[in-house]
Amino acid sequence: MKKVITMLLAGGRGERLYPLTRDRAKPAVPFGAIYRIIDFTLSNCINSEIRHIYVLTQYKSTSLHRHIQLGWNILSPALGEFIEVIPAQQRIDEHWYQGTADAIFQNIYTLQHEKPDLVLILSGDHIYKMDYRKMIAYHLEKGADLTVASIRMDRSLSKEFGVMEVDREGRIVGFQEKPEEPRTIPGDPEGILASMGIYIFNTEILVRRLIEDARSDSSHDFGKDIIPAMIKKDRVFHFDFSQGDCGGLGYWKDVGTIDAYYEANMDLVAVIPQLNLYDPEWPILAHQQPYPPAKTVLLEEGRVGMALNSILSHGSIISGGSVKRSILSPKVMVHSYTEVEDSILLSGVDVGRHAKIRRAIIDKDVQIPERMEIGYNLDEDAKRFTVTASGIVVVPKGIRL
Amino acid sequence: MKKILVVEDEEGLRLLYQEELEAEGYEIITARNGKEAIQKLEEGKPDLIILDIVMPVMDGMEALGRIVGKDRKIPIILNTSYSGYREDFMSWVADAYVTKSSDLEELKTKVKELLEKGKAR
Repeated sequence: MKKVITMLLAGGRGERLYPLTRDRAKPAVPFGAIYRIIDFTLSNCINSEIRHIYVLTQYKSTSLHRHIQLGWNILSPALGEFIEVIPAQQRIDEHWYQGTADAIFQNIYTLQHEKPDLVLILSGDHIYKMDYRKMIAYHLEKGADLTVASIRMDRSLSKEFGVMEVDREGRIVGFQEKPEEPRTIPGDPEGILASMGIYIFNTEILVRRLIEDARSDSSHDFGKDIIPAMIKKDRVFHFDFSQGDCGGLGYWKDVGTIDAYYEANMDLVAVIPQLNLYDPEWPILAHQQPYPPAKTVLLEEGRVGMALNSILSHGSIISGGSVKRSILSPKVMVHSYTEVEDSILLSGVDVGRHAKIRRAIIDKDVQIPERMEIGYNLDEDAKRFTVTASGIVVVPKGIRL
Repeated sequence: MKKILVVEDEEGLRLLYQEELEAEGYEIITARNGKEAIQKLEEGKPDLIILDIVMPVMDGMEALGRIVGKDRKIPIILNTSYSGYREDFMSWVADAYVTKSSDLEELKTKVKELLEKGKAR
């Protein structure tokens, strides 16, 4: 059996998710009531029996460190298993990581220490369910030096992705990073083959290519530099996500913007969501604190505690208020005569009596005062909060109202 | 005249390299360990570095990373009595790996090769 080490890149700033990323790195942003974005990738690893994982962090990593310490202390060190967080150490370069490839190069001592046969490189920014074992098997079967996971995307999104061109054998013969004019899929003029930022490298090739890149003028990025250089001289293949997709519906989301984040969350309250969180074969693990079960109380004339088409988490109480099409994280308190609609309330949020909230994201521990209205007058909201192009209001963590 | 930084903790060897390489027409500056090498690098840019591995204060492997962090392209020759470090990924960062011997021909050839290559670049 081949020795595989996973390097999970969790250092992204997630600037387009601001203010949700004001106090935390993107992988630590809460998602789907009880999860953090990184939980999906880590769950994929565990479900794929991958238990040698380094999580590389840099900016605003406190929240992420705490989450991994509290929520992911599930492996057995006695069996050599680990999820270990490595903050940027500046052992080689005195700067922050300059690109994704630089992040791995700066940790060359860790690769040296482990000497794996293969290195699986993942990003902590995406929501999807995937069996990495299938990709590893494919990589070995093809005798590849590098395998890149791919997914079909609409060509209109080409500026957000690495776009590849492949031959009949699945070998990547062209790679454009975020092109304006992408090469489309043969026979599918509206489709592109996008890179998912998931790579499997043979370790020796990886190290040699990283060193070549580190010693040249480059942006030190896998998509911009390493892959385009490698397709000219090495065996580089693509792995079609549908071959490893455990959800079966091709669900893979980069929740890179507030609007995308809102939509991906809201999809979960659908009767049959695209992302199935109930599959016992592919559980998504999360750090759960021992709060009591969620509860709705009061059933009086004009004062009914209710939640409809919503997700509720433990520790939450809806007391005489109404919650519709919303997602409530743990320990949310909704008081009497309130209306919460189409909103995401993160943990510890308290909604005061007679308050009205719609199409909003309320970050952790925010206290909404009595009678406050959010989402009803966007011009007013925009004076205090972030309001997105599609009209989603974001109330940031730590704000005093 | 091409300037070479020789990083070597043993004084006898340091002098030997200095004499032999000066005789080849190079300007030589020296450092006794990795830490001194990094200081020398900051004082004036050499065209090439000959780097011992086993040294006190800061060894050559550690220095190698730091040097490349400061100057990506400077040619570096690892020069050591031990061949085992060849297996260290970090040693691959160097442009050449020479095992020390009383005969300096291999080292001189590598120096010449890398400086020529540098000219072409």
